[in-house]
Parts: sequence; structure tokens; C-alpha cells
Amino acid sequence: MNKNVYFDNAATGFPKPPSVKSAVLLALEEYGGNPGRGGHSYSIKAAEKVYSARCTAADFFCAEPENVVFTQNCTHALNLAIKGIVSKGDSVVISSMEHNSVARPCFALAHEDTTVNIAQVGKCDEATVENFKRCITPKTKCVVLTAASNVTGRVMPIREIAEITKKFGICLIVDAAQAAGVIPVTLDMGANIICVPGHKGLCGPTGTGMLITDGKYPLKTIIEGGTGATSLELTQTDFMPEHLESGTLNTAGICGLEAGLKYVSMMGLENIYHHENALCEIFLDGVKRNSEIITLRTGEHFVPIVSFNLKGIAAHELATALSNEGFALRGGLHCAPLAHKTIGTLPEGTVRFSPGVFNSQKDTVNLVNTLKKFAKSGI
Amino acid sequence: MRYTLIAVSSITYAMKAKRMLNNLGYFCEIERTPKNLATGCGYSVRVRDDPEMISSILERNGITIKGKLSVTR
Repeated sequence: MNKNVYFDNAATGFPKPPSVKSAVLLALEEYGGNPGRGGHSYSIKAAEKVYSARCTAADFFCAEPENVVFTQNCTHALNLAIKGIVSKGDSVVISSMEHNSVARPCFALAHEDTTVNIAQVGKCDEATVENFKRCITPKTKCVVLTAASNVTGRVMPIREIAEITKKFGICLIVDAAQAAGVIPVTLDMGANIICVPGHKGLCGPTGTGMLITDGKYPLKTIIEGGTGATSLELTQTDFMPEHLESGTLNTAGICGLEAGLKYVSMMGLENIYHHENALCEIFLDGVKRNSEIITLRTGEHFVPIVSFNLKGIAAHELATALSNEGFALRGGLHCAPLAHKTIGTLPEGTVRFSPGVFNSQKDTVNLVNTLKKFAKSGI
Repeated sequence: MRYTLIAVSSITYAMKAKRMLNNLGYFCEIERTPKNLATGCGYSVRVRDDPEMISSILERNGITIKGKLSVTR
């Protein structure tokens, strides 16, 4: 058996940079006050640190610091965005490659007289853009689109779709779960709201995420409570970010997330993408001549994710067999049944190879050799 | 000692104001807004220099001022 190798960075990034671990530890030791909940030095010191993280994130996504909302994860951010903008009778357009973190909040609203239109992702970006155009109606309130599929890694034409949403005055919400920290995704690409996990490409701890908005589309709240501001009022604070940040913040997680953002900035998006994409190329080159191994890639641009199957073997069984050989890859539907329907891999799904910044070429070659062994002799 | 408290909406805007003013060379600190300046939980920036000029800078940068209080001690 090989040493254990983690290739499931699309689920959560691991390992974390040492600076992230240090930042979390330091936060637990030094930033113990409740930020925004007092005038004493402990509270102010913690608030300064949280604001520093807000500024770091704002710089990263081309936003204003007060428009950076800290959340528990990307799903939390997407729920705040989607349910915050859509009202009864509105229409929402999503792509046919969306994760359940987009699909489920939208279909939950469908029970309240909201129409959900699914734009088919085509073989090329032009076809995808045309399909989005066809789905937009006068009732369309927002378009929710993944920046890159969590199943195939396919990068979506954000800028082109942003031109359409801008023209019609529709809010564009981008799910950057797989793109943030790997390729540029910023508000100046035309998105109105970007939702990100802190714990994947941004290298922060689990339990962190962000909603980043340009402020053009005010959001209703789905969670209300203490914000440390306007406390005499029984109605929710109406200014950002406190409007969407009820309850005590995850200071230690936010400190770790800021360290992760700084790590990604220091490494450079281009370098991170180049390294991880090279591992995908090695993987694809290694398996392409083996007719038993099926890879699923249609499109023009990809983040470093490859979905594949071994003929005659269920995805979760293959993932288990790989785990037994020391390789951590995820098999199944990856919480994205729409995407699997689109690429024709329902109901079993695929196994997903998602390398990270700390993976090596040698580990990738070992994985390919193990897959070839399975293809020849079975699992 | 004389100083002015400038009340803003929230801790986030207090932090934004502090960073902005520090970058412009003004010294300031953050403290809770006293109840005779604004109601509810809020934060103020405490400044020693030219409160009118500072208020103008903050408002020009989108920071809403909820009230001002001159203090002499």
C-alpha cells in the first residue's frame, strides 16, 4: 500500500498551510474577545483582526470591506444570497451543472411560487450563453451560476453571462466554490454577488465562507439576531455587513481564512493553477490510452478537477478500492445530481480526482499506476 | 485634554474610519458610543485633530456619521 495521499481538495483543502494553523492558534490565544460586542480592549482587538481579514478578502475579490460577509461555508453564503434576493412570484435561472448548494435553495423557493429555469450547459460556451438567454423572462430576478463545476471542473462563461444580466438588470450570483483560490473570480468580472468557501482553494479552516457583494442588490435576511449595532431596535440592523452577520463570528476561523488568503496571494493564482493543472494533465495523459478508464471532460477551460470511471465498477466501489490503496478520492454524485444528469453519469456518478497545492507529480503517477492495475486485474 | 467623538453605524465602519484616518496621518481610537451621543450599541472614533475636516473625509468616503460630541477633560 502507498502512503496516504489526499486528492479530495474539491471537498475541502488538505493539508492547510502552516501559516493557517499558526493564525488559528494565535487567535485562540490572543483574540479572545467578542468582536463588535463591547468597548473593552479584548473586543476591540478581536474586531480589529476581523476587520483586517475583511480588508484582505475585499482586496482579493475587488470589493469594499463592509460588503464582505463572513459565513459558515459556501452553502450558507448561497442561501443568504438566493433567499435574500428572490421574492414570491420571481423566476430564477440556474445552470444544468449546479451543486445542490444552489439547486436546493432555489427549489425550496419553488414551493413558494418561484419558478426555477435550468439553462443547459452546452458543448461550447457560446451554446451555454444562448441557453441562458432563452431562460431569462421579465420575471427573472437572478441568475445563479457556478464559476466551475465541482464534478467536471468545467469553467463557466461568467463574463459573457454577466453582460446579459447587466443588460436586463438581473442579479448575477456566482458560486465560486471550486474556482476561488485557483482562477481569478472577482466582482469586476460582472458578478453582483460571489459566494465562496473559506476551506477549499482559499486554504482556510472548515467552518468558514464568505458572501461578497457589490451592494447593488440589497438582500433580505433569513437569519436575524444580535449584531452589536442598533440594539434598541427590534428590527434587524439594515447596514452591511452586520445586516447579514447575526451572532458571534468565528474569529479563529476568520483569522485562519485571512492567513489562507495571504498564502494564496503569496503563491499567486497563476502558479497554483499551473501546478494543479499540471497534475491533471499528468493524470489525463496517463489514463487516456486505457480504454477501461473513462474520463469526463467536455468544454474549453477547466479548474483542476477530473471525473472518471472504470468500466463495470461502481464509482463508490472504485473510490473505496483506491482508499484501500491509500488514495483519498471521492466517489458518487458529489452533491450535484444536475451535473451528473448533464454528463450522463446518473445514478452512480463518478470518482473525482481533485489535486491541491501540496500534491506531487509522483503521487499522481502512483495513482495512475494503481488505476491501470485495477483496469487490468480488477479491484 | 480635548477630543471629539464621532459616532458611526457599527464596529465595521469604525474600523474602516480608523484605517482611513490613520492612512491620512490622523491619530484616532475606537470606543463605545456614549448614550448621550447615540442610542443603542454603537461605536465612535475618538479624534483630537480638526473634527470638521475629519467628518468631511469620512462622509465623502461613504461613512455615515450618527452624531458628534466634543469632550473636554
